[in-house]
Amino acid sequence: MARPDHATRQAQPSPVDRAGGGQPLVTLENLTFGYPGGETILEDLDLRVRQGEFLALLGPSGCGKTTIMNLVAGFVRPRQGTVVFDGAPLRGINTRVGYMTQGDTLLPWRTVAKNVQLPLEIRATPRARANQLVDSYLGMLHLSDARDRFPSELSGGMKRRALLARSLIYEPAMLLMDEPFAALDAQLREALHRELLSTVAQLRQTVMFVTHDISESILLADRVIVLGTQPAGILAEVVIPFGADRDLAEIRLSNEYLGLERKVRDLLRQ
Amino acid sequence: MTTTNRLAAEPTAVGASERRPVPRKRRESGLTNTRLWLWRIFLVVAFVVCWELASGRIVSELMVSRPTAVAERLWTWITDGTLGEHILVTAQATGLGFALGAGAGMLVGYITASFRRFGDVVEPAMTALYTMPRLALAPLFILWFGLGMQFRVIFASVIVFFLVYFNTHFGVKDVKGELIAAVRLMGASRREVAIKVVIPSALVWVAAGFKLSVPYALIGVVVGEMLASDQGLGYLLQRSANQFNASGTFATIITLLVIALLLDFILTRLTGRFLGWRSKGALNPL
Repeated sequence: MARPDHATRQAQPSPVDRAGGGQPLVTLENLTFGYPGGETILEDLDLRVRQGEFLALLGPSGCGKTTIMNLVAGFVRPRQGTVVFDGAPLRGINTRVGYMTQGDTLLPWRTVAKNVQLPLEIRATPRARANQLVDSYLGMLHLSDARDRFPSELSGGMKRRALLARSLIYEPAMLLMDEPFAALDAQLREALHRELLSTVAQLRQTVMFVTHDISESILLADRVIVLGTQPAGILAEVVIPFGADRDLAEIRLSNEYLGLERKVRDLLRQ
Repeated sequence: MTTTNRLAAEPTAVGASERRPVPRKRRESGLTNTRLWLWRIFLVVAFVVCWELASGRIVSELMVSRPTAVAERLWTWITDGTLGEHILVTAQATGLGFALGAGAGMLVGYITASFRRFGDVVEPAMTALYTMPRLALAPLFILWFGLGMQFRVIFASVIVFFLVYFNTHFGVKDVKGELIAAVRLMGASRREVAIKVVIPSALVWVAAGFKLSVPYALIGVVVGEMLASDQGLGYLLQRSANQFNASGTFATIITLLVIALLLDFILTRLTGRFLGWRSKGALNPL
């Protein structure tokens, strides 16, 4: 199933290899960032994310991963260099991205359906169309039975899925995910990884995913960028060859996966 | 009541009492509830009976009257329209005072919390005015607004204003930045952020301010009527006491009690419609 029929969405990236070709959707050029009067957090960073790609940023805590996300979201501005989004330099808040963090940003006074519908209300999507979209996204993320529940009535996994639905429903050009599953137990995380991958594949969604978990980055991404500590720079780039319709359970046991994990671990240790 | 139910539900939510047989639990809580109400009613009835028996025997009837006399007085006032007339005056002033004070409190609270610098400038003055006993303002207000309805309305609204102001101010400040950021990314304007996030989020605090200030609005009006008025329940109270009419005094006090409870009930129902989500979910510490 492709993204539920949407006229507004721009041309899809060709479904050819996700890590390969493709136009860059985001380009960070020569980027330096630090808070006013504070130390430099990022220095001379160059980074490209291609259309349809699943990119993971991997690094120890405090290495500036979240800062990169905030730069792409337009919450903060670089000290030097530019963020080019879809061909134009970014100014102000980037309303063409969806952002999912570790925190619970569901509005507690709205039901699941109303939370998921929120971006459509803000974008003044006609009601009939909005209802249709809410139904299809809730269905896609297995939340149809929970549509009338309040966030306080949801389990941790359901909250994550509701947040994912809300971040995707307005068809953002790019989905930013900042350790979205960090607070969950291993089993639930695995289930959500599978769900995320199938959703991303269905929608051919471009994703930038921040994590400090090596296996998570390898299992999910097409390309892993390994970051060093402050001021952060790119240590290495590892291409993950598993493709979009990967079987996570099988990959985990493969020698290829173990080799990649060892490689990344060694890189981080340097 | 709600508290009891919630506490009873808690262990189930964390799975501690899963093995407890369900029917027994139901019977237990059902009985507790009925018993609780029987005890409550019994307490009131016992008090009234003691009062009736004690009056004229242990305590002078001139001081405490007796329930039957109070009921009689209430009945007379109800039938001849006295009570209705005074209730109307008091209710009008209370309603107006509350609406004015709450409206202004919400507006100013929202502004001082949204525009930080302005808020920083104004806050010490607000705190100073808040800590001052507002009853002390009454003579000044009489001087300014005279003895009429206007004085009572403004007096009540000033009392309400501060309670609602502080609750709104802190409620708006308390809104999670994370929520605002999330909605901003969806493309929300400042106005939409206010409508979709800040106001609903602050509503919990504002509602608490309302609940707190309704009885104060009534107090403000009644005190105003006692000080300077020839109408309203405060006037009726003052007149009865001055004439050593204990049954009239108690009749008015009981009327005020009923009105206060009624106002609280109405307000809880109204705010409950917007805050229903808060009682959902298994574990809700608030």
